[in-house]
Amino acid sequence: MATPKIQGAADLNTPPLKTRVRPYLIVAPALLITIGILIPFAMAIYFSLTSYTFRQPVANFVGLRNWIRMFQDSQFWNAVWVTLRYAFWSTLVEMVLGLGIAMLLGSLNNRFSRILRVALIFPLMVAPVIGTIIWQLMLQSSVGIIDKFFNLLGVYGMQWGASQKTAMMTVVMIDVWVNCPFVIILILAGIQSLPKSPFESAKIDGGSAWFNFKTLTLPMLKPCILIALLFRLMAALQEFSIIFALTKGGPGDTLMSLSVTAYTRGYMYQKFSSALPFILILWLIVNIAASQIVKAWRKAQYQATGKDLEEPARKKHGRVRKGESA
Amino acid sequence: MRKYFALALALTLMATMFVGVASAETSKVNWQAYAGTKLQVMFNQHNYQKAITDYGKLEEFEKKTGIDVEFSVTPEENYFDKLNIALSSKSGEPDIFMTGAYQVWEYASAGYMEPLEKYINDPTVTEPTYNFADFYPGVVGTLAWDCVPGHPVGSGSQWALPMGYELNNIAYNKKYFDEKGIKLPTTTGELLETAKSLKEWNGTGSYGIAVRGTRNWATIHPGYMTLFSTWGAKDFAIENGKLVCKLDSPEAIAMTDYWVKLVVEGSSPQWATFTWYEAGSHLGAGVAAMLYDATCNGYFQNYPAGASAQSGNLGWYAGVVPDGSGLTEKDIKSNVWVWSMGMNANSDNKGAAWLFLQYFTSPEYMLFSGTDGACADSPRKSVADSDAYKSVVGKSFGYLEALDTLLPNATIQFTPQPYFFETTTEWAATLQDLVEQYRTTGSCDTAGAMKALKQKLDIAVEDLQIG
Amino acid sequence: MTAQRRLYALLKNGALALYAVFALFPLLWMVILTFKSDAEMLTTTFVFTPTLVNYEEVFLKTNYMRYILDSVIVSGGAVLVSVLAGVPAAYAFARYNFKKKEGIAFQILSFKFAPEILVVLPLYMIYQKLGLYDTYLGLIWVYQLISMPLIIWVVRGYFEDISVEIEHAAQVDGYSWWQIFLKILLPLIKPGLVAAALLCFIFSWNSFTFPLLLAGIQVEPITVAATKYLAQSVVHYGQMAVAATFSALPAIIFAIIIQKHLVRGLSFGAVKG
Repeated sequence: MATPKIQGAADLNTPPLKTRVRPYLIVAPALLITIGILIPFAMAIYFSLTSYTFRQPVANFVGLRNWIRMFQDSQFWNAVWVTLRYAFWSTLVEMVLGLGIAMLLGSLNNRFSRILRVALIFPLMVAPVIGTIIWQLMLQSSVGIIDKFFNLLGVYGMQWGASQKTAMMTVVMIDVWVNCPFVIILILAGIQSLPKSPFESAKIDGGSAWFNFKTLTLPMLKPCILIALLFRLMAALQEFSIIFALTKGGPGDTLMSLSVTAYTRGYMYQKFSSALPFILILWLIVNIAASQIVKAWRKAQYQATGKDLEEPARKKHGRVRKGESA
Repeated sequence: MRKYFALALALTLMATMFVGVASAETSKVNWQAYAGTKLQVMFNQHNYQKAITDYGKLEEFEKKTGIDVEFSVTPEENYFDKLNIALSSKSGEPDIFMTGAYQVWEYASAGYMEPLEKYINDPTVTEPTYNFADFYPGVVGTLAWDCVPGHPVGSGSQWALPMGYELNNIAYNKKYFDEKGIKLPTTTGELLETAKSLKEWNGTGSYGIAVRGTRNWATIHPGYMTLFSTWGAKDFAIENGKLVCKLDSPEAIAMTDYWVKLVVEGSSPQWATFTWYEAGSHLGAGVAAMLYDATCNGYFQNYPAGASAQSGNLGWYAGVVPDGSGLTEKDIKSNVWVWSMGMNANSDNKGAAWLFLQYFTSPEYMLFSGTDGACADSPRKSVADSDAYKSVVGKSFGYLEALDTLLPNATIQFTPQPYFFETTTEWAATLQDLVEQYRTTGSCDTAGAMKALKQKLDIAVEDLQIG
Repeated sequence: MTAQRRLYALLKNGALALYAVFALFPLLWMVILTFKSDAEMLTTTFVFTPTLVNYEEVFLKTNYMRYILDSVIVSGGAVLVSVLAGVPAAYAFARYNFKKKEGIAFQILSFKFAPEILVVLPLYMIYQKLGLYDTYLGLIWVYQLISMPLIIWVVRGYFEDISVEIEHAAQVDGYSWWQIFLKILLPLIKPGLVAAALLCFIFSWNSFTFPLLLAGIQVEPITVAATKYLAQSVVHYGQMAVAATFSALPAIIFAIIIQKHLVRGLSFGAVKG
């Protein structure tokens, strides 16, 4: 096999074809495997423009009819609202709680906090659907420990997932239980990698803890926080298994998020073409939100470290040279 | 002379003997014809499935035929989702699946199911002792349909064979009712009062009556649909060649209004999470004093002894009629649900699949399932009439009597159409909304909700062509 | 320590303890339930006679081990494929500059964020035509949506951490590219690679929607099978607890093993732990 030559200045502008092509070849298997997944996505768009149902599995082109119907359907707007509410609340609670717990863990170094740092990843490792089963069991009125606890406090007949008022709160709670540890460990890692000197100078300068937090800690943690936000928001917008496992979208239409509605219409009612626009809109929302957050993250990262991911793309083709980073 | 007469008599007798033997039906079925084949079966988690899989009967079948049977068991909440996907993939798997009558409307219309009459009527694959006529026509007929929306069941191809059937009535904790001298409610008003008075009858968290409540078609079809039909309401009617939803009729509104009150004042606050399993197991655990659901749901809690905490304490009766309607329990229009087994139209192993279907709906097997298998509602008259069955099922107080009362008027109360899943699930969602409204504000706009539901369902079925 | 600082420390520990209860009590309670017999289930809370009967029922009398095996095969297979195809790709992203590099990289990342339901139906129509429905291979392939982006992005970061000079020095010594890759680079990234692989395994193990909709009779991973234990006509809560708790155990054990690399893995390399 030919060894890639260390490129001298003369080779800079015209790297040999083999070297130019090599990266694509290396990436190819990965791409092939994942592009195989892109095809279903294209198919989904195509089918959303047809009248395909399981009952009549013929893709008659109907143009935008499914889309227009969807925008006129009040269940669609309810689904968008439910999706946004669920994503907002679970992400908000996870971020705030996660930040708080991470700060606490970062400032303590006793045995308890060290053990907790490891132990609190356990809920994250539980599959969300299993987590929902566990919580369902705890909230049940006959054998549930939490229900018994509430009974001790004199509160009977808590409905949790059975009532429209408390159903959203219940699924958000389960989501927080599973995913808050994700935020905690990310931010904790950020905290632990903060440079010490600014804080030492701030101590000399005086100033309240809150002030230090606002002007020093938060901005430096921004990239970290934004990554946590990105992952959690994207996941919460599409959450399916928790809601479905708890109430299948009920009671009524309270928890019929875009994911759950698409599943119900597509797989349960077998009217697949009319379900696809719901999930395509969800994908659109996810994409828009993601690109905004990634933009903010790039900015925050640049401000924090002076590195910018965009740069290498502008560089010429070739291998990474001494002292450079890709 | 007498000697010749005796000889002639003897010869005649012998001749008739031979004639008798020659005309006795001989089995032409080769049970080993498909030895070595593999069959895939999808079961819903149910006693009917347990009777096949848990008592060694499946192994007996495998030995008799040399066929290897692989099966999966799914809880009811997820079962039809999974089955929908499997069937619509047209992969030919599963070869056999459990289904209900309503699902036949959808699956047969879509071409997923194999018509069975050609197997039933073929003596080379069906034993003469199979005796198809032994099935109650009212039961096996629910699985025959001509696939025209709006047309009633009973004619057309035979799409599936019954494993059992379920009517819907009220099961109650007989021991407690007898102890406290509680009279069985016979009208809706009495039922509401009784259920209300039974709150906390057995400790905190216990309540009067359990009914299903999830956002699922299964919430509508048992007790609710029975009372709905008894009240005189209908789900759809055919007008001018189109299916028109009739859920905004005065009877539908009145009945739904009553049901909402019953749920809020007489049932559990967690009603909206109750599936068949919760409702039944609450009766069995002594949390619910009554159960308005499928006949056998309570039965599985009662038999065999030790099946649940309250096993042996339960009783059954036909149900209630609307206040002031002047009807008696004989007028109750029970809805019917028939768990059955069907064959995948795309299966590669139809011959072997037929042997499976035949075996597990045969008179011999069903005698077992109806007695030791704890499958109370046998669809075969021969089994239902047998002493063995009567002695086992008769142990459950009032069970057989309630069946007798309800059978004449029992039928599928829904209008057959292939969008059944969609229409009844949205119906259940509306019911959940109303219950929530009533529970939180003390009143609910049933008329408004049912009218909105009617409009939604009219749109859902508008593309169906009526024959 | 002054009284005020002691108070702060107490409050902080107290707040942490509250969260710890919230996070860990459910799991603890489930474990307790696994040892409770059905008879004592409704009548006792914490004081009861422990029994192993639930374990017996679940492990010996149901197909539980088969479901675990299915999960192992599918998750393990997915990780294997991702590593084989993803590590070279990660190297390419780390070391080469080529057109649309970041574009392609982000494209791969975006697969992780695609709504699963969007992908599933067209995918299973394809699977049915290709005969991949309800097969190990079919699930392994679709799990690449979850595991490939993770491997590529995380391992890329580990490659980037290695100074290029090591490679150049080896080149000068006359090693071929392959030799450098196998003998020098891989051992250096091994801890990170192992961690990323285990994390992929965990995510694949916990997937619910894909096995629910693309498999079910012959292939039944534990997440889907666990729901079965919840819905029975006479509910066996103890067995349910065993089914649920044990399905989470492998992931928890792996997480403890790789805790050092967990942050990097979870953030897809964006945050260095």
